[in-house]
Amino acid sequence: MNTGNVMDLDREILERLKESKSLENEKACFGNCLDSIGWWIVEKIPANLHELKQLIAKNSNGFGAYFTKNRVSLEPIRQALLESSTTKRVEKFSCSDDLHGFVYPLTIRDKISGFIGTLYTRKDIDTSIINIFSSFTDTVVMEVEKEYELAKLHETVRPRAIALSTVHTVHRLISSTLDLNELLPRIARLSLQIIRANRCSIKLVDSTRKVLLPKTTVDLREKKTRLKKVRIGRWAPGKSVKLSKPVRGERYLAVPLIDEDVIGVITIYDKIDRKPFTAYDEEIMTTLAEQAVIAIKNAQLYKEQEKLTLGGIKSLAAVLDAHRPIRHTPKLSLHKITLLIGQKLSMDEHELRCLEYAAVLHDAGQLVVPEEVLRKPTKLTGQEYELVKEHPERSVKIIKPIRTLKAVIPIILHHHENYNGSGYPKGLKGEQIPLGARIMAVVDAFEAMITKRPYRKPMDIDDAIEEIRKNSGTQFDPKVVTVFLQIIKKHDIRSMLEKEIDDAR
Amino acid sequence: MTLADVARSKIHYKILSFFHENQASLDSPKGIATWIREERTPVKKALEDLVKMEILVAHRSSSMTGYSYTTDQKLIKQIQRLLEKKR
Repeated sequence: MNTGNVMDLDREILERLKESKSLENEKACFGNCLDSIGWWIVEKIPANLHELKQLIAKNSNGFGAYFTKNRVSLEPIRQALLESSTTKRVEKFSCSDDLHGFVYPLTIRDKISGFIGTLYTRKDIDTSIINIFSSFTDTVVMEVEKEYELAKLHETVRPRAIALSTVHTVHRLISSTLDLNELLPRIARLSLQIIRANRCSIKLVDSTRKVLLPKTTVDLREKKTRLKKVRIGRWAPGKSVKLSKPVRGERYLAVPLIDEDVIGVITIYDKIDRKPFTAYDEEIMTTLAEQAVIAIKNAQLYKEQEKLTLGGIKSLAAVLDAHRPIRHTPKLSLHKITLLIGQKLSMDEHELRCLEYAAVLHDAGQLVVPEEVLRKPTKLTGQEYELVKEHPERSVKIIKPIRTLKAVIPIILHHHENYNGSGYPKGLKGEQIPLGARIMAVVDAFEAMITKRPYRKPMDIDDAIEEIRKNSGTQFDPKVVTVFLQIIKKHDIRSMLEKEIDDAR
Repeated sequence: MTLADVARSKIHYKILSFFHENQASLDSPKGIATWIREERTPVKKALEDLVKMEILVAHRSSSMTGYSYTTDQKLIKQIQRLLEKKR
């Protein structure tokens, strides 16, 4: 088998040699020196003279037709071929008074794979010319051989390099998100793209380690997809998890997601070209699953960390609530309004999360304002008001050690800035004020107006809305006010707000 | 832009040929520019043109965009005919 392949390779190189420009140049160059009118190349030493005649005629670019018509014994050529295959040197021959020539073996990959010959040369050819000829021929053969190897290398390496680049791109794409809800469909879609299949489903092992929970299914053929639980050990995904190795059939390929233990499985169904899944698909999917499991673990850890952060924020908010003179605010409605404004103003997921945290923590600095000041039923003195005005900076001091809340700081610090620059602590104006802070400013002011204070009764909701509208462009960002007015007008929001206020009274 | 226009533009044609020959490939503009030996900026623009024509699919993330070939078999057959004609 191997010998056959090697022979095929040598034959391919020989064919390339026949077509090569360098050989053409060599023929032209030595043709002049040797007065030769005919060149021929044969792969092997023919078994008989008839075959030799045919071969030379066939491989000598036309002049052989003339040559075959003449009754000349070709035995000297056959002898020269035999001798040169042993000596590996140029061997001359003379078939008649006017038919002289020589043959030289073509050594490909250290093995004689053919012969080049001349006809109708001068009888006495200078040895130095023959030496140059043999060196030149060896160089041409070597050059063709190298070209061939390079072409083969390109043919073999390029698809692998492209596949490697694909894996690298997939890795970058799946590592760029820490949100599991975004990550899993992305992994599924990328798997379908690179395997060229129709359906991909990702299932994760549940906490009891008995069942696989469906997390995402992408089907290029159907818009609707079914999410089904699978018992570990059943069907291709279940078997793959149980055995901790890929399970491949003609129309499916299940690859386990293995961390320290199996955490889930990616299953692909139905190749677009309807061909069966191959070992190559399995290899690619195994590599992709290795990348995917890292991304999934990172996303899960991030989610855990977020839960911890949120827990810390909630504790801090509880402490803050206990300290505040106004305990009964419609928190849920106001949080919802805040987030809806953020969404309407095209904030991304991260910005919305920061806004949510800021909504809980923006008044954390009031913890360090004396309680008698916060609960004072009469108007504050100048000194007391200055103390209250410091609360955004004090809030920042409290949350600064929590690194994950870094992006929340600008919202908290500037939520008392006014759009016209008359606010505090920095006197920022317009777009200088972070968007989150401009949103907080509106909602915070609205909250202050509709809740009871030690020194005044709560304002009616419609009056508070009117007050916000009146201060649009001066105290508040008009864009934020417009969105706020649209949201507060909504029936469900208004009802939720009124119910919460009623419940608090 | 039509398929005929794609065949007339050198870069669009090279990208099309690359993805047709390597249908399982998914790569960044930089990677594709390397494979077809062209500058990254025009390649990036051509990739977006091909996305608009639904010949390529863009996988966008916050840090990068990866491009892959369509899975629409009808379109792939049309492209096959175009490439054969061009050769």
